[in-house]
Amino acid sequence: MAVLEVKNLRKSFGKTEVLKGIDFSLEKSQVLSIIGSSGSGKTTLLRCLNSLEFADEGTITVNGETIFDGSTKVRRSDEELRKRRLHFGLVFQSFNLFPQYTVLENVMLAPDLLKKDTHENNKEKALELIEKVGLIEKKDSYPCQLSGGQQQRVAIARALALDPEILCFDEPTSALDPELTGEVLKVIRSLADGHMTMVVVTHEMGFAKDVSDMVIFMDEGVIAEQGKPSEVFGNPKTERLKAFLASYSK
Amino acid sequence: MSFWEVVSFLSDGFVFSLIIFAVTLICGVPLGLPIAFCSMSKLAPVRAVAKTVVWIVRGIPLMLQIFIIYYVPGLLFGNPVFSNIDRYIISNFEIPTDGVLRLLMINAGGLVAVLIAFTINYACYFSEIYRGGIESIPKGQYEAGFVLGMTKSQVFKKIILKQVVKRIVPPMSNEIITLIKDTALANCIMIPEIIKQAKELAATKALIWPLFFTGVFYLIFVGLLTVILGKVEKKLSYFKD
Repeated sequence: MAVLEVKNLRKSFGKTEVLKGIDFSLEKSQVLSIIGSSGSGKTTLLRCLNSLEFADEGTITVNGETIFDGSTKVRRSDEELRKRRLHFGLVFQSFNLFPQYTVLENVMLAPDLLKKDTHENNKEKALELIEKVGLIEKKDSYPCQLSGGQQQRVAIARALALDPEILCFDEPTSALDPELTGEVLKVIRSLADGHMTMVVVTHEMGFAKDVSDMVIFMDEGVIAEQGKPSEVFGNPKTERLKAFLASYSK
Repeated sequence: MSFWEVVSFLSDGFVFSLIIFAVTLICGVPLGLPIAFCSMSKLAPVRAVAKTVVWIVRGIPLMLQIFIIYYVPGLLFGNPVFSNIDRYIISNFEIPTDGVLRLLMINAGGLVAVLIAFTINYACYFSEIYRGGIESIPKGQYEAGFVLGMTKSQVFKKIILKQVVKRIVPPMSNEIITLIKDTALANCIMIPEIIKQAKELAATKALIWPLFFTGVFYLIFVGLLTVILGKVEKKLSYFKD
């Protein structure tokens, strides 16, 4: 059964229609990469999944539970909203670590506030995650003392601390120097090897090709092509995707 | 009059300056926060009211605001609250023959009026500093908190607040330093703050130097404030945003 099912998702900002009916589903432990040029709606789609934006139409279903239905216009309570958000984790392009907290505190803050477990267990779990992203020696550093790549790895650990069913990445390496992208991609790769279900918006075509089970190419608010990476990259059907991929191989 | 007698006479006045300073901060710093929230409210009428109040309070001289608070209840509503306070104290308490306590007791009504005017005035200035500070925090900080399942109030208290505090310390320091000097305005309704005291010496003892000497009091106090506020700033410098 699909972990995530998105049906006919539509979203407009004023008169601009950003998502024009998005349909896809994702199996457990699969990695979905979303590619496409800027302004094609990739980020908006992720933000709708994470309830940072609300679609105008369509449904989002996680594990058979409909967490969003555009046809019911009732106001969502904050409580309900928070529960929905916990299905997903989100790693931002700009990291968004909390500057006043150390690495360890950044990872532990939400589990402690949400009383996920006892403080000691939360701490133990946080340390495990920090170890996993390879930053245990930096656990007491502040974000301003870390490189961009290190900050993004902390952000990944922070997102994992709440055990999301689906982890989303919004261009996780776009704000990084080329030489720092590798370390972040390595962490994401290791999560894929650990069977984490993920949705990755990315401009790293090589990475998308290697790691994904499925690739979606978005263009002007619609899914122009989707399929296995070998199909999408090896045998693009639309002119639009051909042109898009060609711009990367230059 | 000896030098130390003059200093002591001026010190009595500086007590008023310090009281106005302290009360304005204690009441104005928290009061600025709801005003800031109102001026950022999603509800247009709330925002309009807050913005109008801030516009008026920042738009007219503080001295005029002191006059308004002090005289308007009596002139408009036939209820001179502040002189009634004086009358009440004089008829119910024994007034010492001299010293700062005497000054405080016979000027209590006016002092209350000054405190109200200062608190409202500074709360409005503070609210604008808060608003600027809050609005300068990147949206991503809120969103990072929200996607981690935090409530709005947790996000504000645990994530936003400290970053706002760090950002507003320099402009707040500025206002706080201005405040101690603004306390001199209280002498427009005859509150014996330090400059009024010095003018008193000029009038009754033909001593003009104390008027200039009051500057020493302000300078020492501002020096002290600068050190303290610098420490606060330093304490928050462990993180950068």
